Amino acid sequence: MQQSPEPPAKGETRLSASPNLSRRQWVAGAAGATILTGCGTAPAPGKLAPVSILRAASYSEDLYALMQRIIAEHRLDVRGKRVVLKPNLVEFDQNTVINTNPKMVHAALEAFRAAGAADVRVAEGPGHRRVTLDLADAAGYFSTFPQFESLFTDLNLDAVTKVNLVRPHSKLSSLYLPNTVLGCDLLVSMPKMKTHHWVGATLSMKNLFGLVPGGVYGWPKNVLHWAGIGESIADLHTLFPRTFSIVDGIVGMEGNGPIQGTPRPMGIVVAGADPVAVDATCCRIMHIDPRRVSYLTLAAGEAQLHEDLIPQAGEKIASVSAAFALLPSLESIRLVNPASGS
Amino acid sequence: MASYSEELLDRQNPDGGWGYGKVGSSWTEPTCYALLALASGEVYSAEGSRRTVAARNGLHWLTSGQRSDGGWAPRPGVDESTWVTALALLLPPGLSAGDRQRASQWLLNQSGRESGFIYRLRLRLLGVRLDPTQQFDGWPWYPGTAAWVAPTALTFLALQKLNSSTGDAQIQKRLAEGKAFLLARRCRDGGWNHGSTQALGYDSDSYPETTGVALLALHGSKAPEIGNALDVAERHLMQSHSLEATSWLALGLLAHGRSPSEVSVMPHQGTVAISLAAIAGAARQGRNPFVS
Repeated sequence: MQQSPEPPAKGETRLSASPNLSRRQWVAGAAGATILTGCGTAPAPGKLAPVSILRAASYSEDLYALMQRIIAEHRLDVRGKRVVLKPNLVEFDQNTVINTNPKMVHAALEAFRAAGAADVRVAEGPGHRRVTLDLADAAGYFSTFPQFESLFTDLNLDAVTKVNLVRPHSKLSSLYLPNTVLGCDLLVSMPKMKTHHWVGATLSMKNLFGLVPGGVYGWPKNVLHWAGIGESIADLHTLFPRTFSIVDGIVGMEGNGPIQGTPRPMGIVVAGADPVAVDATCCRIMHIDPRRVSYLTLAAGEAQLHEDLIPQAGEKIASVSAAFALLPSLESIRLVNPASGS
Repeated sequence: MASYSEELLDRQNPDGGWGYGKVGSSWTEPTCYALLALASGEVYSAEGSRRTVAARNGLHWLTSGQRSDGGWAPRPGVDESTWVTALALLLPPGLSAGDRQRASQWLLNQSGRESGFIYRLRLRLLGVRLDPTQQFDGWPWYPGTAAWVAPTALTFLALQKLNSSTGDAQIQKRLAEGKAFLLARRCRDGGWNHGSTQALGYDSDSYPETTGVALLALHGSKAPEIGNALDVAERHLMQSHSLEATSWLALGLLAHGRSPSEVSVMPHQGTVAISLAAIAGAARQGRNPFVS
């Protein structure tokens, strides 16, 4: 396990998926985005980046070829770049499927390496368990990755830099964030497709909670709960808007997710360069109305979540979708008419 | 055990502190645990004068980091005192009496947000019944947030140490609340997780590391719940493979007179885990710096 050494010099850090922007330029850009959404004026609807829905019946299929296809279809040029893969590691329970399958993450690592990335790391900061490597071991990461410890950064314990939030959605004014993530060229959010008992669904945007360091805020990262969960998710999206997303929907989780739900085999992987578009598509696949998921409307505005504004590649939503079981308290977010996506 | 000692001394940064991993900048938490390991005697006996210099440099790094409010931040560059203040108070003499007083006062001023007057008033006005597990004052990881098991257990240990020398009434009141907090936050299986025994009515299971640290904090308690918790800790110990988790479990079991088994652990080890293993080794020989 490695931690990034010292905090980067102010104004020098290169930020996720923005290799040509300094921190100052990037914060200014992020501020502009926040002004658009944070003041309650939704951006004018426009086409989002395309979302791929790809079939993969099991984790024994050729996931490496599938990841290569995703990189090619989305024209991800990672040559010479530093890539951070962020799976979802929460807890381990052998009776269900809480965490991103390690074979998915390993396939992504190999594919990004083959595409010319200078460095590919796996990084995560679990919200409940302090002993991250113990959790990763139980979840099968050590048995899947040769020398996993040398590839992994525990984001809970990484060196941090304070980042200010301009016009945040939540009650937060700033966040300390791990330098490994602030300094990478491309952050790839790799969540499990799961229901979430508080916010409806946990996908690529909610997965960014794992970037918030437990070493500063504790386990769980309760400061985010008090600041507003949906609002904090939207703020993290504002800080990392160009995150690429690859969702493990080969076996998802329904019911009382994100920990105590039951496995839901779906046989799909969903990917794209816009986390809002990917998560909205996943919601429709799960028969959840994305316009009733608070962090999606905060991040993009309700109009932007219309299905027609999200170009789809690969499978059609209707051909792969299935109603995920929801807790009774969440039935109000169920899609009324799944066939039409509304 | 000597290898833990040597590894710990090798990991000390030039500034005197320790990072979480083999390399990396200094943080308060691993520095405190490394200093506790040095103080436990296991590292002293192994390394002679080298450990004396290491302890002196480590204490200098730590004491220079105390903030004007009396607390400690998790690491340089973070401008907020947090739960790690309790760890600094667990250390043997090295802080002046005044600095200890300021640190303890900072800790006494902290409590879980869910036990605050405004939060409880809001619940009452909304007609929401108070969760019985939330009626006692514990300690949060970070100011302004809810109380959880690990920071409550560690602050409890720090204040208990202080109470043995001062007998302060305010400390005793918080200790009573802290003990009640820990007993109320047990999971259905009798152990402890991070502090949420239920989520939306669904029971949660315990973790090994939090079960160990809670039992350590409750050393000397004759509460009837302890017996079951010790059995849970022994089961966790047989199933855990991380050095950090098994060390906390050993410390918790030893604090209640049980003899924990030696178990095999995974090779990957952070500085906190190595320090705790050294402390647990000393505790097996009757020297437990958390409670002595």
